[in-house]
Amino acid sequence: MPGIGKDMNERSDHIALRTEKLVKVFRDFWRRPKARAVDGVDLEIRRGEIFGLLGPNGSGKSTTIKVLLGLLRPSSGTAEVLGFPPRAIAAKAMIGYLPEESRLYDYLTPRETLEFYGRLFDFDRRARAERIEQLLEMVGLSHAAHRCVGEFSKGMARRVGLAQALVNDPRLLILDEPTSGLDPIGRRQVKDLLLALAKRGKTILLSSHLLADVEDVCDRVAILYNGRIRAQGSISRLLERRDHVRFTVPALPPDAMKDLLARLRQAVGSEPWVDHPSRNLEQFFLEVVEQAHQAADVPSGAATTGKLADFLTENPE
Amino acid sequence: MMFLLKQFLALTGLTAMETMRRPLCVLLTASAVVSVALIPLVTVYQFGEKGRLARDSGLAVHFVIGLIVAAYAACSALTRELRDGTAAAALSKPVGRTLFFLAKFAGVAAIVLAFSACATVATLLAERVAERYVEFEASTLCVTDIRTGIALAGAPFLAYLLAGIVNYRSRRPFQSTAFGLMALLVGLALLSSALFDRMGRWAPFEFRVAWRIVPAGLLVTLGLLIFAALALGFSTRLNTITTLTLCGALFVTGLMSDYWFGKYAGDSVSALAAHRLVPNWQHFWVSDFLAGGGAVPAQYLARAGGYWLVCLTGILLLGVVSFRHTEVN
Repeated sequence: MPGIGKDMNERSDHIALRTEKLVKVFRDFWRRPKARAVDGVDLEIRRGEIFGLLGPNGSGKSTTIKVLLGLLRPSSGTAEVLGFPPRAIAAKAMIGYLPEESRLYDYLTPRETLEFYGRLFDFDRRARAERIEQLLEMVGLSHAAHRCVGEFSKGMARRVGLAQALVNDPRLLILDEPTSGLDPIGRRQVKDLLLALAKRGKTILLSSHLLADVEDVCDRVAILYNGRIRAQGSISRLLERRDHVRFTVPALPPDAMKDLLARLRQAVGSEPWVDHPSRNLEQFFLEVVEQAHQAADVPSGAATTGKLADFLTENPE
Repeated sequence: MMFLLKQFLALTGLTAMETMRRPLCVLLTASAVVSVALIPLVTVYQFGEKGRLARDSGLAVHFVIGLIVAAYAACSALTRELRDGTAAAALSKPVGRTLFFLAKFAGVAAIVLAFSACATVATLLAERVAERYVEFEASTLCVTDIRTGIALAGAPFLAYLLAGIVNYRSRRPFQSTAFGLMALLVGLALLSSALFDRMGRWAPFEFRVAWRIVPAGLLVTLGLLIFAALALGFSTRLNTITTLTLCGALFVTGLMSDYWFGKYAGDSVSALAAHRLVPNWQHFWVSDFLAGGGAVPAQYLARAGGYWLVCLTGILLLGVVSFRHTEVN
């Protein structure tokens, strides 16, 4: 039997987050069941993985996340975060959480906000101050550090929210709609940040409605509907169409093209689909804005830096 | 332990600062100071009891506006945070719920104490301003200390003006700067009153105020802290309207406790229980002691302090238990 225990431990070492038959039922004032927000969810997220939780509004994504953070108690089933129960302080010290809306203290400045969240973790004042400066620069808000966050646009507040989630250099990052409210540049930066953090061995759980963003960064996804997981697996496995093939080749001379199409028609028995690949709109937009940015003055909103905070690039997991 | 203390101070400081930066908090404090300052300046009541009128009215303003400050601070500290989700963000950090709740109370208490300090100093000065007879060059004059009255009533306005300038020049938040400056200027008004006599003549380093008002103000403050703890306890589960309604009902019940329950306490167990369990605000209203130059006896202060401690501990414990099971959605 000792072998089994060892296997379990090794397995547990590789699992950052696990739920088993997780159920959350919300009740009304009289304790009558009101809504079954999460209904038997089984999840296993490996360390160093970017996992996407997808689903329409009210599908149970945020509720699942709140149970994992110990903010809500499960009605039944179990949850484990980094080897601890969700309410354990030890687990929370290793988690960074970005709530669904940018829920911040309206009358604090970004620096005061990060100072406050930083003080909830056990690191010294100097390290805290350095991290805050680096984070403000990373999210492009150094120039707005003196303004109250209540005055910020949704996108700017989202950046402060993201910075507060990273202040403790977390091992597990839980992000609820991380790119909502951000402009395409901000979204690209967040996606690059997530990929860079995952490369450093961080585990990331994100929920989003923006499927393109999820597709860009996630290794695996689970799709929730009415509190149940309807599909789960790696993106490539879920999206692959094994009954079709696509070739991408440099532009061909007309004769070669005609010849190739005739052969394909003969082989497939129907007309093949041919088009010119196009850049995606996000890439095009980023190029245009980058050109405009070169000629621009001091920005009034978030200033794009694209630079990762130094402390986030040190000591990979 | 040191880390827990640091977390506690961070949460307490945040609660106090957020509340202080809300416009209503500084507005209520300014209203209290100006109202107390104006009482001796605008009342026409005579019969040589203008001092008592200023004192009693000052304590009443302290109590009534203090109740609003305490309820407002408690609701914005917890109900609003639970509703807006800032509590969820803070509780996703390595912060225990007991610590979170107690730190929230400490932050609210800091605001109530700052408000009470301003209101108590205002009452001290208002009592000094009130018209009274003084001996002057072999005759008796009826004098109102207008200068002190203007210094006190002008403090909030000057604080707003200076806060505007500071905000313009250094971008410091207006409300918290105004709050701090108001406390400072009210304190300066008290200090400057030690430099002049009632006639406005230079007579330095003698405070001509009735210090016996301070224990009465302190007791009102203790009552406000109990009210704040009650509001915070209800805020763990209820919305603002329900919290305020229940707090209001408990306040009235507590005021009437001796009359409604006290006189039946010997015959009825339920009356006795109600009399013991509902906070009795009468313990914290002692203006009658001050009539005719009297003071609050030290023994009474100690007894009321003991009652306050037991009451507050009980309410906070119930609040902690409630908050530990609150679902933060």
